[in-house]
Amino acid sequence: MLKKLDEIRTIIANEPVKKLVLAAANDHDSLSAVLRAAKDGIVIPILVGDKEAIQNIASSYGYDISDLRIVHEPDTEKAVEIAVKMASSKQAEILMKGKVGTSTLLKSVLNREWGLRTGKLLSHFALFEVETYHKLIAVTDVAMNIAPNLQEKIAIINNSIDCLHKLGIALPKVAVLGAVEMVNENMSATLDAALLSKMNQRDQIKGCIIDGPLAFDNAVSVESARHKGIKSEVAGDTDLLLMPDIEVGNVLYKSLVFFAKAKVASVILGAAVPIVLTSRSDSEQAKYDSIMLATAVSRKQQ
Amino acid sequence: MIRTLDEMVDVVLSFRKKHRLAVAWAHDNNTIEAVGNAVINGLAEAVLIGHKKEIIRTCEAESIDYSIFTITESKNEITASQEAVSMVKTGEADIVMKGLVSTDKFLKAVMDKENGIMKPGAVLSYVCAVQIPSYHKLLFITDPAVIPFPDLDQKIAMAEYAIEMANTFGIEKPRVALIGASEKISRHSENSIHYAVMCKMAERGQIKNCIMDGPLDIFLACDRKSQELKQVDTPICGDADILLFPSLESCNPFYKGLMLFAGGELAGLIRGTSKPVVLMSRSEKKKSKYYCIALACLLAERNI
Repeated sequence: MLKKLDEIRTIIANEPVKKLVLAAANDHDSLSAVLRAAKDGIVIPILVGDKEAIQNIASSYGYDISDLRIVHEPDTEKAVEIAVKMASSKQAEILMKGKVGTSTLLKSVLNREWGLRTGKLLSHFALFEVETYHKLIAVTDVAMNIAPNLQEKIAIINNSIDCLHKLGIALPKVAVLGAVEMVNENMSATLDAALLSKMNQRDQIKGCIIDGPLAFDNAVSVESARHKGIKSEVAGDTDLLLMPDIEVGNVLYKSLVFFAKAKVASVILGAAVPIVLTSRSDSEQAKYDSIMLATAVSRKQQ
Repeated sequence: MIRTLDEMVDVVLSFRKKHRLAVAWAHDNNTIEAVGNAVINGLAEAVLIGHKKEIIRTCEAESIDYSIFTITESKNEITASQEAVSMVKTGEADIVMKGLVSTDKFLKAVMDKENGIMKPGAVLSYVCAVQIPSYHKLLFITDPAVIPFPDLDQKIAMAEYAIEMANTFGIEKPRVALIGASEKISRHSENSIHYAVMCKMAERGQIKNCIMDGPLDIFLACDRKSQELKQVDTPICGDADILLFPSLESCNPFYKGLMLFAGGELAGLIRGTSKPVVLMSRSEKKKSKYYCIALACLLAERNI
C-alpha cells in the first residue's frame, strides 16, 4: 500500500531506466521536470524540438545536456510526429508533451499509420497523495472522456486497474461515484454503477472489487459508510474513484489540489506507451511525479 | 414455516374465522365445482353472484347442494364483477373470485379507480406458489399471468410481492433468482440491466427482506451442482425460493410445463389489491384450484 507518491521510486528502483521522449522539448516547465528526473536516474530523456532553445532553457536551470540525445526540429508538428514515431517504433517507452497543444499531440498519437493506437480507449488517470486519506487514491477520468457511456466506463476501469496492478495493488477497490449510494432510476450514474458492480461479480470485469453507487463520503470514509449502514468491501478503503463525467472529475481534481493541498501525478493510459500530458497549471513537482508514475506504468505486466 | 401446499391448507383450516368468497358470475360448472369443494371442506364460505336460476341449475348438474352457498341475483357479468368487488370493499366478503366472466371485464371492476380495490399506485401482478416433487421446497414464481413485458419498476413490484408471499409462508429472507438465459450482464439484454440494478437495490436495502441475484439461468437458480460446475459466485446457491421471470411468455409456459410434465400443483393469486383476488385458468387441476382458494384465505387472514 502506497501512502506517498515518492514511494513509486521504490517500485521502479530495480528496473532498467526507461527512455522518455519529450515532444517539442523547448518548454520550461516540462523540460526542467524531465531533466530533474534524468538527474535522479528515473528516465533517459530524448529531446525533440528546437535545439538552441532547448539548450538555452537547460542552461538557465543549470543543467549540462551535452550527453543527452537531442533531435533538432524547430517545427512543432514535425517534432511531435518524430517523438510519436520514436514511441511507436519502441525507441522510447514514455511520451511526454512539451510546448505543444494537447489536441496536436493527441492527433499524432491517434494517427492510424504511425501513431500509438492499441484499440483501447485513451483515458486519464490521476493519482493523489492526500494527507487526510490513508493511502494514495486514484481518480479517473478527469480530463479525457467527457461523458463516458457504460462501455467506455468499463474501458476506463480496465486501463486504470492495469495501472494500479503495476503499482503493486493486487486487487484494487473501485468505487463508482454517484451523488447518493442508493440506486435511483433518474440518476444514470447510479444505474451504471449497479451494472459495473454486477459485471465485476460475474467476472466480466476482472482484477478488482467494484462497488457503486457510492457517494464521495462513503467511498473514502469507513465511518460515513457505517453510519449509512452500507455493507461494502470498497467503502472507506477505495483505491480508485470512477467519476460519472468530466465535470465532476475535474472539479474534484482541482478541489483536491487547491483546497486539500494534495499532490498529484497523472498519466494518459490506453496508448502503446504511457503519455505524460500535464497542463501548464500543474506544478513542476506534479510533472516530475507524473514522469515517475509513467515510468512505473511502462513496466511490463508482472 | 409452511413447506407444502397441504400444510398451507392445514393452516387455513385452523383459522377461527372462515373467510368469505364473493364469486362474480358463478355460472359455470368449473367455478361451482372449485368453490363447492372449498366450502364442503370447510376452507371458506361463498357468495355466488349471478342469475340465481342458472346457478342453481349448474349446482344440480354438478350434484352440489346449492344451499351451502349464499346466492345473490345480478344482472350481467359486469354488474356481478362490480358487486363482488364492492362486497369485499364493504367487508361483506373477504375475497373476490372470478367466475364465467372474461378476465379483462373482471379486472376492470377490480382496478376501477373509485370502486375498485387496488392499493394506491400499486402494480397489478401475479404470484404463484408451485409445488413439484423434484424440487426440495415450494417455488414462488412471477409473473405468469398479468404483465407481458415488465419494466424495471414492475419487476421491482413483482419481486416485492413474491417476497411478501414467501414471508407469509414463514420464509424470512427468501432467495430471489432473477431469471435469464445466462448469468452475464449484456448491454443488449435490457433484462440483465434491470437485474443488475435490482441486485444493487437489494444490497442497499431498497428492496428488503431477501437475498437477490441475477441474471441466473434456472440451473444456477435451482441446482447446486450447476453452480459448482459453472463456478458462478452466487448467494442463491441452487436454493432459490423465488424465480422472477423476464416476461409473461417465459413464466407462463414454465409453470404450465411443470403442471403438465412434472406433476406440479400450484396456488396463485393476483397481487397489488387491498384484498385477495382469485383468478385462475379453467384448465388448472382441481387440487390447484382448491389451493388457490386456500392461499387467498391465508392472505385474507394475514391481511396482505
